[in-house]
Amino acid sequence: MARKLRVWVDHDVCVGNAMCETIAPKVFRLNENRQSEAVDPEGDTVEKILEAAENCPVSAIFVEDAETGEQLFP
Amino acid sequence: MVAAIPDDMFTPDVIADPYNYYGRLRDEDPVHWNETYALWVVTRHDDVTRLTRHHELFSSAVFKNDPKPAYPAIDESDLGLYEYVRHYQGDQFIQHDRPEHLDMRRIVHGYFTPKSMEAWRPFVVDAVSELLDAAEKKGRMDVMRDLATPLPVLVIAQMMGVPREDRPYVRQLAEKLLYIGRGEHNRMPVLTDGMKGMLEYVSPLVDERIVRPGDDFISVLASGEKKGVFTRHQVLVNTSLLLLAGHETTINLICNGTLAFIQHPDQWALLKKDSAGAAKWATEECLRYDAPVKSIQRLASQDVEMRDKVMRKNDRIRWFISSANRDPNVFADPDRFDITRQPNPHVAFGNGVHHCLGATLARVEGQEVFKALAARFPALQVDTQELQYQPSITFRSLKSLPVTWQ
Repeated sequence: MARKLRVWVDHDVCVGNAMCETIAPKVFRLNENRQSEAVDPEGDTVEKILEAAENCPVSAIFVEDAETGEQLFP
Repeated sequence: MVAAIPDDMFTPDVIADPYNYYGRLRDEDPVHWNETYALWVVTRHDDVTRLTRHHELFSSAVFKNDPKPAYPAIDESDLGLYEYVRHYQGDQFIQHDRPEHLDMRRIVHGYFTPKSMEAWRPFVVDAVSELLDAAEKKGRMDVMRDLATPLPVLVIAQMMGVPREDRPYVRQLAEKLLYIGRGEHNRMPVLTDGMKGMLEYVSPLVDERIVRPGDDFISVLASGEKKGVFTRHQVLVNTSLLLLAGHETTINLICNGTLAFIQHPDQWALLKKDSAGAAKWATEECLRYDAPVKSIQRLASQDVEMRDKVMRKNDRIRWFISSANRDPNVFADPDRFDITRQPNPHVAFGNGVHHCLGATLARVEGQEVFKALAARFPALQVDTQELQYQPSITFRSLKSLPVTWQ
């Protein structure tokens, strides 16, 4: 079974660069303030979600294993 | 009645202290029509944030699509040179809108992730240490000449695989390219001279990377040509852009930040107490308090309403980092330099899809410089009667910053 993730975006930091939305459009969507929201942590593979997090220019994306709480990014 | 705010943004007092002038605009007329240069001046933090995050309303393809003549006015005999400038600038990836901008950004974005830039930190630490060793022996330094300029040039040139012996020449060309943000009527010959020199200089470097790609950043840009995203002229122009942007702005971060610490001994003491712990937020505060870039331009893609004003399609808009970063609606006591400010949502790197590509690199360089200065020097003093700034609307650049520490 696929690993379940907890994914969130720190809105004190997010600048709306939107690279996460480009890389994993089903997981990340810009809200009305043009900041990213993690709308569906199951919307893409773990690899794609981690790629999106790594490509955030301001490291605003956090990824954890939903069951164990292990921090996967950063 | 409130006295009208004069529209000349190049007067000595506005250049010396942009915070007073743009702060007044922010308070009195936050979306201001500047009649002299026929452009909108946007100065509040929330407006700037909205503007930079709505790339579909505000185009970055300024040079290609601006129907109006150059401002401030240039010599009539230089109109041909201005066309050259438009063609050159227009090919920069930052002067594009989506969808082309996204294709271009994706070529270069991966090289500059926070994780990959972190790998450069040891190189930066060593470079800072070498430069400060040399300066310390002399007992005085010009922060601009001896630290702020050579450090980022060293780093970006290393990333781009530019031969060490060529770096002073690159810097010489870069100084000509800075005329882009200046107001002299006869600035075009200097500017185009720099552009032509830059293209001529990077051309053989690009040729080589097309044939034998390496892990340097010019090879990354050259890969964009193979993927059909960049033309050769675009590869050359963007190589020049990255060489310039990769250092000019960081120079200002280092000089302006160092000056802020000299002028605020309490904050210097705070940094000294725990330089490794304080450097991160101290650098953010330097970026906020006296940002390297003062303003950036856009063109309205359609009619847009902002506050009680209507910007018409193709109107020029300049958004001012120097005022947004001092907006009292966002920052408590905004004119105070406070290195413990957290969070610090300054807009020194812009926002949205055009957020500065080199932001993390600039941060790493700033952090390591301020950390090293605080660790090595008891206190710095400015060693001149008068500090002068370049007469630019774009860059907040000191001409020099001589200091002593006796």
